[in-house]
Amino acid sequence: MNSEKIVENARLLAGEDVNVSTNRIPPPEASFMKHPSKLKALQAVAHLTAAERDQNIKTPKNNAFWNQEMGKIQYFICKTLLVGMYLVFGLFRYLQYEYNRMKLRIWNVIYNPSNTPQLIRQDVTKLNKIPRRLAAILEMKSVGSVGGGVKGLMNDGSEVACWTVSAGIKHLILYDFDGILKKNVLEFKQEIKTKLSRYFGPSNVPKFALRIPHKNKVYFSNDDTHKISLEISLLSNRDGRQTIVDLTKTMAELTKSEELQLQDITMKLMDKELTQLVGPEPDLLLYFGPSLDLQGFPPWHLRLTEFHWEQDNDQVTYSIFIRGLHKYSSCKINVGK
Amino acid sequence: MQVPRFVRSFFVTPPSPVAANIDSKSSTRIYEQLDKIILWLKTFQLFFKLQQQLQNLLINIVAAGPVPEHVSFIMDGNRRFAKKMKMPLKRGHEAGGVTLLSLCYILKKMGIRCVSAYAFSIENFNRPPEEVNALTDMFAVKLDEFASRAKDYRDPLYQSRLKIVGDHSLISPEMKEKIKKVEKITNDGNEFTLFICFPYTSRNDIWHATRLSVEECAERNLEPRSLTTEEFSNKMYLHEYSNKCDLLIRTSGHLRLSDYMLWQIHENGGINFSPTLWPDFGFFQLYLMILNWSFFTTIQRYIFHGSKKSESQPKFWDRKNSSKSLLENLPPIPLAVSITGERDTT
Repeated sequence: MNSEKIVENARLLAGEDVNVSTNRIPPPEASFMKHPSKLKALQAVAHLTAAERDQNIKTPKNNAFWNQEMGKIQYFICKTLLVGMYLVFGLFRYLQYEYNRMKLRIWNVIYNPSNTPQLIRQDVTKLNKIPRRLAAILEMKSVGSVGGGVKGLMNDGSEVACWTVSAGIKHLILYDFDGILKKNVLEFKQEIKTKLSRYFGPSNVPKFALRIPHKNKVYFSNDDTHKISLEISLLSNRDGRQTIVDLTKTMAELTKSEELQLQDITMKLMDKELTQLVGPEPDLLLYFGPSLDLQGFPPWHLRLTEFHWEQDNDQVTYSIFIRGLHKYSSCKINVGK
Repeated sequence: MQVPRFVRSFFVTPPSPVAANIDSKSSTRIYEQLDKIILWLKTFQLFFKLQQQLQNLLINIVAAGPVPEHVSFIMDGNRRFAKKMKMPLKRGHEAGGVTLLSLCYILKKMGIRCVSAYAFSIENFNRPPEEVNALTDMFAVKLDEFASRAKDYRDPLYQSRLKIVGDHSLISPEMKEKIKKVEKITNDGNEFTLFICFPYTSRNDIWHATRLSVEECAERNLEPRSLTTEEFSNKMYLHEYSNKCDLLIRTSGHLRLSDYMLWQIHENGGINFSPTLWPDFGFFQLYLMILNWSFFTTIQRYIFHGSKKSESQPKFWDRKNSSKSLLENLPPIPLAVSITGERDTT
C-alpha cells in the first residue's frame, strides 16, 4: 500500500514552508476577555456614538419589495438605543464576570491537589469513565505578567502532564498556536521531569515520551523505551489547515504521476494519513481561557471531541481539569442517534 | 379568546408522575409555565401586535451596530422536545423546521448575509428507516414552502437564496431532482443565503474538497504545489462562506461539534452553546447571543483600530521630530575653532 509514501511526501512538503499565518483574529469575546478592561469597553462604546454611519454596512430592509433602508432619524434613534443597551449589557457582563471569578476562587480552594498523585487518583476513581485521550489548548501569556513567557507556558504544560499521569490517562495532546513547546522540546522535557519528581519523588519518576508528529520525532524521558505511562503529542497551528492542504498537494502530485488513482482517495485513507501526520482524535478538549476559542486546533480531529472550559477563567488550574473529567464522565455519546 | 391550555389540561388530566420525573428541576418548570402564559396572552390581538412591534424595534437596534456575516445552527433536541411534549417524533421535527424559518426571518432583518443549518448528518442514516423517511418527506415539503416564500414579494424572505449542500450521492434521485429545481428557482436571490446541510458531515466536506482539488490538478494540469488554503476553502460546499463562520449556535446542551463546521469554526469563530431544546429556542435567546457578539465585536474593532491608528500616525507633539533622527534634532552648535586658527568651512 502506498499510504506510507503519501505520509513521507506530505512530511517533506511540510518541512519546506514553515511560515505560519500570523494575522489571526480571535473570536471577539475571547479576545477581549483575555485582557478585560472597563475603560477600553467604555471608550469603545463612546466611540460608537461619535462614529459616522458606515456606508458599507447595509442596514436591514424591513420589506425587500419597498427597498426600505433605515432613514437618518431612525438610524440615529436606533444607535442611541443600542449604546444604552451596550451599557446595560456591559454592566450585566461585569457583574457576571465578578461572580464567575468568585466561583473559580472557591473551586480552587476546594480542588487542591497540592502535588499529590494519590488525591488526584482518588478524585478520578469516583468517575465511571475517563477519556482515553486528552487534549489541552495552552496559551503563552505576555512576558510581563505572572506565569507569562515561555517559562510560564512550559510550567503550565508540565503541570497538565502531571495531572494526566496521576489520573491514569495514557495520551495527552498539548496544543499551542505558535508551536513554542515544539521549539523548546528539550527544555520542556526537563521541566516535566522536574515536575514529575516533585509529584512522585525523584527516585521513581514515571516514564514518558514527547512526540512531535509534524517532524515525526519522539523524545523519550529515559533511554529505556518500555512501559511508558504517558505519551505527549505537541501540536501547533501548523498541524491544522496547512497539513490538510499539504496532504492534498501530495495526493495531487501522486495522482499526476499515476501512482495513486482518484477513486483510491477515500475518507478512510484520509483519516489514516491524518492520524499518522497529526495523531488520533482526542476525546476531551480542555481550554484554560475565558471563552471558548479553538485557535486553529486541527479541524479533522475535532469531530466528536467534548469541550470543556470555564467562563472568565484565565489560569491553568486543577479545578478546570477535574471538572472537565467530571463532565466527560456524565456525557452521553451517541453518534448519529 | 381561549382558556389557557395548562388550565384545561389541569382539569382534564392531572399531571402524571412520569412527566414530573422528566424535568424535576423546578426552575425549568416555572419557565414552562411562564411560556404557557405568554402563549395564552398571544391569543389577544393587541398583545401579539405589541410583541411584533417590540421585536422589530429590537432588531433595528441591533442592526445599527456590527452584525455577524455568517451564523450557523446545530439544530439539536427535536426528538427530546417531542418526547417532552408527548408528541410523535415527526411533530418534533416539524416544530424544529418552523423554528428555523422564523429565526431566518429575524436574522435576515438584522442584515445577516448567510445562515447555515445542520439538518441531517450522514450518521443519521443509522436511525430507524421510518424516521429517516419521515424526515426526508418533511424536508421536501419545507423546500417547496421556502421556495414559494422566496419568490413572494410580500414575504420577509423575498430575494433569498436556498442551497442544499452535502453528499448528494446518498439521497434518492427524486429528491435530487427536487433540490435542483428549488435551487434553480431561488438562484437569483442575492440578499440572503440559507445553506441547508442535508446529508452532511464536516469530514466528508473536507474530503470532498481534497478530491475536487486533486481532480482539478489532474484535469487542468495545474502545478499541485501552488495550491493555497484559500483555494482549498473555496472548493468546499459552502463556497465563499467556507472560510469562516462568525457564530455557531448549538442547542440542547451538548458541548461538542458533532462533525459540523469543523473547518469553518476552528480558527476564528465564536461558538455558543445553549441548554434549550431547538424548538424552544426563541427570539430572545438568539437576540442575546447576537447582542453579545455585537458588543464584543465593537470593542474588538475599536481596540484593533485604535492600536493601528496610533502606530501609523504619530501624535501631534512628536510629529515635528518624527522624520529625523535625534542627533539632527539637537540645537545647533557654536562655531568650532581650533587653536591653530583652523575653522570649519561652513
